[in-house]
Amino acid sequence: MSMNSMSDPRRPNKVLRYKPPPSECNPALDDPTPDYMNLLGMIFSMCGLMLKLKWCAWVAVYCSFISFANSRSSEDTKQMMSSFMLSISAVVMSYLQNPQPMTPPW
Amino acid sequence: MKAFHAFCVVLLVFGSVSEAKFDDFEDEEDIVEYDDNDFAEFEDVTEDSVTESPQRVITTEDDEDETTVELEGQDENQEGDFEDADTQEGDTESEPYDDEEFEGYEDKPDTSSSKNKDPITIVDVPAHLQNSWESYYLEILMVTGLLAYIMNYIIGKNKNSRLAQAWFNTHRELLESNFTLVGDDGTNKEATSTGKLNQENEHIYNLWCSGRVCCEGMLIQLRFLKRQDLLNVLARMMRPVCDQVQIKVTMNDEDMDTYVFAVGTRKALVRLQKEMQDLSEFCSDKPKSGAKYGLPDSLAILSEMGEVTEGMMDTKMVHFLTHYADKIESIHFSDQFSGPKIMQEEGQPLKLPDTKRTLLFTFNVPGSGNTYPKDMEALLPLMNMVIYSIDKAKKFRLNREGKQKADKNRARVEENFLKLTHVQRQEAAQSRREEKKRAEKERIMNEEDPEKQRRLEEAALRREQKKLEKKQMKMKQIKVKAM
Repeated sequence: MSMNSMSDPRRPNKVLRYKPPPSECNPALDDPTPDYMNLLGMIFSMCGLMLKLKWCAWVAVYCSFISFANSRSSEDTKQMMSSFMLSISAVVMSYLQNPQPMTPPW
Repeated sequence: MKAFHAFCVVLLVFGSVSEAKFDDFEDEEDIVEYDDNDFAEFEDVTEDSVTESPQRVITTEDDEDETTVELEGQDENQEGDFEDADTQEGDTESEPYDDEEFEGYEDKPDTSSSKNKDPITIVDVPAHLQNSWESYYLEILMVTGLLAYIMNYIIGKNKNSRLAQAWFNTHRELLESNFTLVGDDGTNKEATSTGKLNQENEHIYNLWCSGRVCCEGMLIQLRFLKRQDLLNVLARMMRPVCDQVQIKVTMNDEDMDTYVFAVGTRKALVRLQKEMQDLSEFCSDKPKSGAKYGLPDSLAILSEMGEVTEGMMDTKMVHFLTHYADKIESIHFSDQFSGPKIMQEEGQPLKLPDTKRTLLFTFNVPGSGNTYPKDMEALLPLMNMVIYSIDKAKKFRLNREGKQKADKNRARVEENFLKLTHVQRQEAAQSRREEKKRAEKERIMNEEDPEKQRRLEEAALRREQKKLEKKQMKMKQIKVKAM
């Protein structure tokens, strides 16, 4: 790499601040996984609570975990926490109502 | 009447005596002998009538004695029932060892013996009724899965973080020698280098560098694999994917000429040609092989015109591309870069998207997913190539012909766009005009002062008349010109 050591390419007067890319195009380009998983988790936990299905509640817990793992740092943690709590409560309620173990479908 | 009464009393006494005898009877388990055979006939017939008649007789007596009498009557009835049952038994058991005694019992011994012949099946207690931990094996499995996911999250996050740090440590010196500002998240008041990466995600890290000749700034994005998500890790086992480093250099308007050019793997170029607005408009031909310029077969070229390719493919560039071909996904230089094609629901966008002179580089980190921090050193020469490309883009200028061609291309694209959106733009202009008129009318209506209202109305009328006149003038002029 032949860079002229005499001329420094740096120009302190030409510094531009970092501008985060506009959010309008970003959500479409960005990975939709955390949003889908969040929604799915909520649906499964509601199913688990209403229909007293243990497996639904467990799947909801998994969905909220996956959503959390894929989330962007700019995203609201409150949403993550609320979906997580909802799924945990679904599991707990299912077992309180029916302490018997889950039966596999096979 | 008195004699009848006496008779009833006698019968009552009789009944109680026989009842006592029957009580003894009932206490004994084995009914062998029966003393009161003499009275058996009587008891069957007379006692019923006796029981009935005393009731009838008694109930007609004084009311004072009714309660006690009724009880007695009830008692008598119950005794009668007992006696009836006993007398039935007594009839069948008149002889000491009656063969008929065990008539009804034959079946019972038989059934018990048949039971002995059948094997005894011990049925397992259903799982949901057991109280052991083993029956909860599915729950234990779920919890284990969750724990595995959490472990993978921690491990993956740490690995990505280490890789990012390794990359930054390798490239820090080069970047700091080329840019004044290395690392900025845009939140600080002053433009000082943070000297560290911006973590956008658990797998995406950004770095903004600025303050150099030729370019406004350079955004480096380290797009690692989602090692923190177990599902992704499992999916990657089926289909190996690479970590990527994406570099976007925004050039100053005066430091880059007008051309669109791309080089990279064939697959990547085909995808970019479909997705990117500028490549699809200006480079309509299929990606060509770069063998003519000494490039390996894996790389192809997309160019607006041959002159650009000639200018770009100098010895140094070819050297870079040949030596690091396995790490290069795509390189895209464009003065008309506006990002990917925007799919709008209402049809075409009304305005041409904003363009920026940009150099885009996408590099694959070696290792195909199994990357180690030391692999980041292999990307350093590629950063040198980026720096070289920035300087080259400034130096490279199209000749007169090339410039004319480029200008013509851009004009053509704009014209096409305008034609496509002509109808929509007309509609938009029309609606804007109507909005203005409506707003004015509202203003006039809202004016309380009648004088002002009149004046505003007149002014609006005058403006409209002027417009009409202008239009008429224009039409006349066109007609004259046509003639």
